[in-house]
Amino acid sequence: MNLRRIIVACSLFLLVSAAWGAENLRVLVVQSDNNTLYQTFTNALTGSLPANIHLTLVLRAEDFDAQQGDLIVTVGVKAADRVAGKTTLPMLAAMMPSNTFTDLLAKRSRTRSTAALYLDQSWVRQVAFLSAAIPERHKIGVLHAADTHLDISALRIELTRRHGTLISRSLHNADTLFADLEEVLIASDVLLAVPDGAVYNGSNIRNILLSSYRRGIPLVGFSQAYVKAGALCAIFSTPEQLAAQAGAAIVSFANTGKLPDTQYPLLYTIAVNQEVARTLGLTIQSAESLRLQIEKSQGVLR
Amino acid sequence: MNNQKVALTLLLCMTGRAIYAADYASETDYYQELPVVLSASRLSQPLSEAPNAMTVIDRKMIVASGFRSIPDLFKLVPGMYVSSYKGSQAFVAYHGSIDQYAHSMQVMIDGRSVYMPPMSMVDWADLPLSVDDIERIEVIRGPAAASHGANSTQGVISITTRDAGALDGKSVSVTRGGKGINDVSARVGHRGDTLDYRMTLAYSADNGYDNLTAPPNNYPITKSQASSLLNNTFDSNQTRMLNYRADYHPDGADRYDVQFGFNHNVKDVGWTDSTGNPVHNLFANSNFVQLGWIRALDDSAEFALRFYHIGQDQHEAFSKVSLVPNQVTQSVNAIRDEIEMQHTLPFSDANRLVYGAAYRLDRVDSLGNDTLKALSYSSISNTSEYRLFAHDEWRITPKLLLNTGAMVETDGMGNQNTSPRVALNFHMTPRHTLRIGTSVAYRTPSLTEQKIPVTQPGELFVINAVATSPGLMPERLMSREIGYLGELPDWATSIDLRLFSDQLSNGIYGSSATNRFVNGFSAQYRGLEATLKHSFGEERELTANFAHELASSNVPALVAAGKMRPTLGMPSGADLLSFNTPRNSASLLYSQRLAHDVSFSTAFYYQAAMQPFDRGIIDHQPIQRRVDARVARAFNQGGGVKGELALVLQNLFDAKYTEYVANNVFNRRGYITLTLNW
Repeated sequence: MNLRRIIVACSLFLLVSAAWGAENLRVLVVQSDNNTLYQTFTNALTGSLPANIHLTLVLRAEDFDAQQGDLIVTVGVKAADRVAGKTTLPMLAAMMPSNTFTDLLAKRSRTRSTAALYLDQSWVRQVAFLSAAIPERHKIGVLHAADTHLDISALRIELTRRHGTLISRSLHNADTLFADLEEVLIASDVLLAVPDGAVYNGSNIRNILLSSYRRGIPLVGFSQAYVKAGALCAIFSTPEQLAAQAGAAIVSFANTGKLPDTQYPLLYTIAVNQEVARTLGLTIQSAESLRLQIEKSQGVLR
Repeated sequence: MNNQKVALTLLLCMTGRAIYAADYASETDYYQELPVVLSASRLSQPLSEAPNAMTVIDRKMIVASGFRSIPDLFKLVPGMYVSSYKGSQAFVAYHGSIDQYAHSMQVMIDGRSVYMPPMSMVDWADLPLSVDDIERIEVIRGPAAASHGANSTQGVISITTRDAGALDGKSVSVTRGGKGINDVSARVGHRGDTLDYRMTLAYSADNGYDNLTAPPNNYPITKSQASSLLNNTFDSNQTRMLNYRADYHPDGADRYDVQFGFNHNVKDVGWTDSTGNPVHNLFANSNFVQLGWIRALDDSAEFALRFYHIGQDQHEAFSKVSLVPNQVTQSVNAIRDEIEMQHTLPFSDANRLVYGAAYRLDRVDSLGNDTLKALSYSSISNTSEYRLFAHDEWRITPKLLLNTGAMVETDGMGNQNTSPRVALNFHMTPRHTLRIGTSVAYRTPSLTEQKIPVTQPGELFVINAVATSPGLMPERLMSREIGYLGELPDWATSIDLRLFSDQLSNGIYGSSATNRFVNGFSAQYRGLEATLKHSFGEERELTANFAHELASSNVPALVAAGKMRPTLGMPSGADLLSFNTPRNSASLLYSQRLAHDVSFSTAFYYQAAMQPFDRGIIDHQPIQRRVDARVARAFNQGGGVKGELALVLQNLFDAKYTEYVANNVFNRRGYITLTLNW
């Protein structure tokens, strides 16, 4: 190998580095709104990136108007929705519920290069969590909206695979919430909350928790707030954890020029309400040992 | 590009809104703030964590028992003596009672003490509460002053009524049966975003006990005794009541509980052979208002404030039988106001402190008038009581739970008492727990003991204006126990065992030497209690309770000293208290769900023979064996109307047994209940 060829190779490398290299990557972060939730994400993201990746922040989705950059990171559904119709730049949709992305956004994005970092946990992980947390309970009740976009049949398959049974009912209408809930509770020994706003919202949660508590049935939630409200436990990703994953995806994009595959959260948190467990006569392990069990049973989860 | 815009517009038109709107989940569904619903005050303590032995009677057991009166439910508590002076004058006492007032049981409904002056007793017929509005009853077996206030000497009955949001809709229920059983109730309830409420209107009536047909226990009685003793025709009781509960929860942090109720009760009292207390009606109106505020604080802390008012107005009018008949009218009006604050403060996951203070004001106005003697008597009594309490729950290790607590009270009668409690729960494994505990509790003398009435015709006690026993001290009970709780999931069984030894000192009794109530009675109660629960699959459940108890006292010494009259017919030197407590008692409750929405349950109650303490041996209670059964079928009428038809048969095999008073005979009886909900 002569010196000239080495110089050419190095120059090419430098060129490539310059073209795709970290120091020149301009990332536009578009928040759905300017409130604590998105600020927490953005702050954590900023902190996780090397100094040579330049972030420009758009505080609210409606402020976005086809600004330029190398990559757009949207935070939340509203931002993704706004950006998807207005740009052809590569787009990373962070803090994105999986069904919202697959059903709607993926289909209408103008850019060919779109990937999402999901906010929700896969059914595989959720079922592994249920088996670890309450192994003695197998009848998993789910009450969902009539027009739910959740893949209930996939949940059923996953539960059956892990020797569980799914008892699912759809909500007839807003007035029949408690009659429908009773139907689920009669046949179940765990109630799994799902992010269907027609069923699970700030005003319904009280009576849902009280009804299940009266029957001695634990509720498994999907956020810290659920556990604080009285759910037995929950598995979820915090905005900080989602931001860390987004940070890694950005660095990878900076290095390879490619967005990673759309993926479920890599990092997650488990919360347990021991007081509720005690009251219901359940023995539940600590969050840490639950995590170990999930990871043992599932390997690296996607 | 244009095509894409058209597609987007079309999509938005089709869904009618942007995609982040309601239909699809957005991150706000995941990260929304939620109210704290199951806060410390909502969560009931599991038996294996409780510092005392505790029996829980839940809604399912209440329904399965078929009982239509609240006191009957306590037959499902091991060691509980449930009996009646008359059909509508039931009493409930743990370890037995030396009279029909059962002074030593504290009874609370949603934290409201219904243990009322001047008698220091619970009038079960006057409670503005229907059995169907009870969610759960916790019976603490043993003193629990540290957490439940004064006068919980033998134990505490804590009734939790159904949540305001328990019923969303309307419901009517009609019951008809033998012995004049006639109950009607109507309920309406609403479950809303920020306001839940329920209201019950109920009427309940029956004719009490049956007649004896032969002298009890082959007791030789005279003809006149027989005609009065056997006669129990005047024993009916009618209650009309209203009960309202609302729960306003405007935000995630605050909850406001508003309750009120009213009860109008007419009961037949008195005896056909009594001159001073002939048969007549006793009218009672009782009411209450209760206001509660609970604020959820950070880190599972909680602040609660509660105020309640109880008014109980009873009156009677009757003609005393004598040479010249004369008219007696008497009334007793008791009013209680109490305010309590409580702060629940978790120091860590392992240590939680509950402390608080309360102030109570009791006022009793009593008035009597006797036309013959042209005698009027009246008195007003005000008693104010303060108490401070603290209770700490410390999980020293995951296996070791230490409960320590104490209450300090001034009882308004010049006594200051400190009631401590210590209990250690050791979880040998998560499913096997040992509990060792000791506690002390005091019972304040009742007004009627302190200020015994000058004259006592009729049913009510018009208390004396001045103290007749001014130096009367509170009774003191010291309790020690060892408990075991086991869960055997492979056998679908749980076991609750308890060995106890309770020592009563400074006990109050009526001295025959002075005709006054005095201290000086002492007693010891020892025994074993067991509860077993077993599920046969998902459709069948069994609860079995057993108690073996031994009681002894200084009665022989008091009799020998001439301070207590011997009971005629009892062997001389006998310890009456040892006969007063049934040595063995048991209950079984079995329930099963059958096909076609049919449910079946049956119960068996057993109580060994015993001698009521203050009754003659004519009222000796022979062995009680009683079987009850209930069959119900639920149906769905369609159009949102659901219902249930239930048949209850009590004392199915018509076993002849009597109660605290021998002419209270409970023959087989049955009733049918039809309930409709929509």
